Amino acid sequence: MLEVGVARAGRHKAEDAADWAIKLLDAFRREDVRNLVFLPDTVMGRLLALAEADPFFRLTAVHREEEAVGIVTGLFLGGQRAAMLIQNTGLGNSLNALASLALAYKIPFPLIASLRGELGEFNPAQLVMGRAVRGCLDALGIQHFTLSREDEVEVVLDGALKTCFTAQEPLAILLSAQLTGWKDEQ
Amino acid sequence: MDRREGTRIAVELAGSSPIISSVGNPTFDLVGVADRPENFYVWNSMGMASSIGLGLALARPDRRVIVLDGDGALLMNLGSLATATMAAITNLVHVVWDNGGWEITGAQPAGTTFGVDLATIARGAGFRHTASVETPEDFRHTFTAAMADREAWFIAAHIEPGGATKNRPTKTLTALRDRFMVALNAP
Repeated sequence: MLEVGVARAGRHKAEDAADWAIKLLDAFRREDVRNLVFLPDTVMGRLLALAEADPFFRLTAVHREEEAVGIVTGLFLGGQRAAMLIQNTGLGNSLNALASLALAYKIPFPLIASLRGELGEFNPAQLVMGRAVRGCLDALGIQHFTLSREDEVEVVLDGALKTCFTAQEPLAILLSAQLTGWKDEQ
Repeated sequence: MDRREGTRIAVELAGSSPIISSVGNPTFDLVGVADRPENFYVWNSMGMASSIGLGLALARPDRRVIVLDGDGALLMNLGSLATATMAAITNLVHVVWDNGGWEITGAQPAGTTFGVDLATIARGAGFRHTASVETPEDFRHTFTAAMADREAWFIAAHIEPGGATKNRPTKTLTALRDRFMVALNAP
């Protein structure tokens, strides 16, 4: 009944993980961020496969991004650090929980969002949220950094995590398609 | 059953177990019955109580985590029931005070008034232990079993409409957070 042994990362293989994903998980290990609460997209899938291969991490999938804010809050209240992993288009589904729970009660966690709708986008329905994501974060007062290059991943992640837990607030890391690649589809 | 009476029974049987209370009347009644440090009051964030409870249950397998939810709030976050199953959670006792609608905003009728069955939904989402109770006696009996068990439970407790109270928790939200974490011995 309880399929705990099921691979949460789906088809993706740990050995396909990009260098940025390896560095991101290394930064999480250094700051004891053990819980990855996610709603998958293709970019995040490769990172999840790598995380799943390491018993240090616990992967918890959600069905709507707002749930992740609640779960991360519960984990923090119980004494565990967590990260929220989503695609930026799903940020809109989590705005009220970010405002009224994570920011209001000062719950710290990294919010990692892969960026659709910016570089190399083929899907017109992704464009508007792609443009709006930083404005939404700014309106809430959530500090954010964009990762575009492999060689900045480690230093930005280390610094961002330290600031996040000092500030006791969520902090967003946006993964540019310049870093993660974009889809071939026209 | 009156919600205050149900809340009294839940607190009595909870011992030192943590309780997450949903926005509005579940929180206002809980603070009125017993403002214990093991309570985490949700001041807004409608629908989030079940997700917060799930996260806490994942972090603390040593505790049984109680969620006091509302029917309107749960209907906003039905996916959280499936999420709990996918997380293979065993230490969650999810109680829904079901008065058939959005009581606090003027008793507008919602799902269950029109035949939606929350216990059936929870069963379909994978909860192996579900109950739908009407009386304080039934609630006491079922909640006792849920607290003594080693699996997750879902209890839809039907309550009478009305009965809003004037009790409010402190509005210093970080104080609520910190008091709860100290009570749970969370760093």
